[in-house]
Amino acid sequence: MRWGSSRARLRLACAATVVVIGPLVWFWQASLLPEAYSVVDMGYPDVGGGPAGHLMAHGTHGSHAMAGRSLTSLRADPGRPPDVAVTLTARQQRSRLPSGRAVDGYTLNGQSPGPVVRASVGQMVQVRLVNESVPDGVTLHWHGVDVPNAEDGVAGVTQDVVGVGKEFTYRFVAEQVGTFWYHSHQMSHQQVRGGLLGALVLTPAEHAADVVDVVALVHRYHGVGTVNGQEGDAPVAVRPGDRARVRVINTDNGPMSAWVAGAPFRLVAVDGTDLNGPTPLRDTAVLVTAGGRADLEVAMPAGGSPVRVHLGGSATVVLGSTSFDAPALPKPKTTLDLLSYGTPAPLGFDPATPDRRFRYEIGRRPGFVDGRPGLWWSVNGHLFPDVPMYVVAEGDVVRMRIANHSGDVHPMHLHGHHAVVLSRNGEPTTGGAPDLRGRHHAVRRGWGGAQPAGVRRVCGVRIADARAAFREVNTRCAFRVAPRGA
Amino acid sequence: MKAVYRALAYVVAAEVIVQAMAMVYGIAGLGKWVDSGGVFDKSVMESDESPFPEIVGIIIHGVNGMIVIPAIALLLVVSSFFARIPGAVKWAGLVLLFVVLQVALGLLGHGVPALGALHGLNALVLFSAAIYAARRARAVAASPVVEPQERIATSG
Repeated sequence: MRWGSSRARLRLACAATVVVIGPLVWFWQASLLPEAYSVVDMGYPDVGGGPAGHLMAHGTHGSHAMAGRSLTSLRADPGRPPDVAVTLTARQQRSRLPSGRAVDGYTLNGQSPGPVVRASVGQMVQVRLVNESVPDGVTLHWHGVDVPNAEDGVAGVTQDVVGVGKEFTYRFVAEQVGTFWYHSHQMSHQQVRGGLLGALVLTPAEHAADVVDVVALVHRYHGVGTVNGQEGDAPVAVRPGDRARVRVINTDNGPMSAWVAGAPFRLVAVDGTDLNGPTPLRDTAVLVTAGGRADLEVAMPAGGSPVRVHLGGSATVVLGSTSFDAPALPKPKTTLDLLSYGTPAPLGFDPATPDRRFRYEIGRRPGFVDGRPGLWWSVNGHLFPDVPMYVVAEGDVVRMRIANHSGDVHPMHLHGHHAVVLSRNGEPTTGGAPDLRGRHHAVRRGWGGAQPAGVRRVCGVRIADARAAFREVNTRCAFRVAPRGA
Repeated sequence: MKAVYRALAYVVAAEVIVQAMAMVYGIAGLGKWVDSGGVFDKSVMESDESPFPEIVGIIIHGVNGMIVIPAIALLLVVSSFFARIPGAVKWAGLVLLFVVLQVALGLLGHGVPALGALHGLNALVLFSAAIYAARRARAVAASPVVEPQERIATSG
């Protein structure tokens, strides 16, 4: 009798163990990824209430055979000669920063950050990327610029990676005006951090004579904060009474505050888009999100006293003429709220009547990703790679509700489209920041193989390697799907 | 299996001690580093480099708390099925519950710092529950094996 009951108990214990461990093993097994998979076939389609087009043959891979065009044909006019031609040679090497510090990492033309690429609106930009010695391969992504899709530089999505000894030529017409940057989009986490990046400045055809253009690319090399590769103060000569447009580029993985000591300033552009009616600011910090840009226009004091532009905790730009001994200022308590800064401008489309509505909820939950247990980021409650693929068509107005329930800031940005923030936590936008490109959007454009004409597929975001950050809960934004590459 | 159950319960308690020590070690290191001119911001936080050596304490806290301790608590639950100790399943289940609560409070504390305070309180609750589970097991192991039914019969 006792033998029987102890045997029954053992069976019960084994059954209970299976009940506890079994689901874990099942989830673990289900999360394993194949050796190779296409980002294009990843996740599940979400059409947001709009027509599905021909894409719903998703899963039947033969669908690529249907009428459509390859994204590799979405290029700039091949017959047009370049107005700006640059060759960038990527190397993996130990190099010396402009500050003199030797760092292990990557260079473009022997330097990091790479050379500033400048073009004025309407010019054809041609950049030849040569990989001399980066073993994992490289690409260049034009962060914030709506380039033809084949020029977008996302390894595995819009092009193959450029291996050692290979090259790739990017061509696009500068149709936007503003501050951008370029960086490798192959193993971005490691390569961007290691210095495969540089500033891209697209200027209007006419340039104001009394405005000094200052690029302030902020990057942390092996824990050391720099601006344009300089540690500590980076001095820039600006005459008294003149203005300086300081193009702040945050290339790190977290949001950074920028503030100005010694003069009032205006925030004239955010993420490569001019703001409408920006007003002078004083004792106010501007939050520059990961990957984001902020153009600060500083009016130099007539008396000639220098001005310090603080970029995060460590890097500073000092604007001055005779003296560069500008006092430091602790970070102001007030941070600018873009919802109410400036005056509203017409959008050019009506976000009240969208063609599609999406929700994008960022969270974290325990689970397995490729067999690894952990607390992983989730999109609409699902873990990678089971993330939504937002399906849109050319010309659509898309409205998206973004909510971050994770408790953490998470960077991400939208390739190839830009969006306007309509409200945050129920509070509508009243300011003149009509276009927060690269800040508050959730989806990444990208599609592979052939596509039915006119239909765009916006693929699921692997948020782990996107950049730019926001922390707002319940941000609503809208964007229009621009015709591109036709 | 009793010994395994008891050992795992003590390991959970020991891990709570490690967690508390690692966290204070990390925070103390941060304070010292800031005092000597270091600036801690999100870009430092996201950087792969260690700005100060004691940051290893914060890393240990995260890995231990989110992977190692939940795994041990799960093993404790499994061992409780085989341990033949009255109340073992209940106490192992409670330990696991407090572990889950602890992870949740720790993470929610990033958004709502007051929940971080409860994370500190729940650590003591978890520690006590793990010690209690282990000590119960020892008491049972020390006394002659008594079938639960018989115990209920004699005590009732």
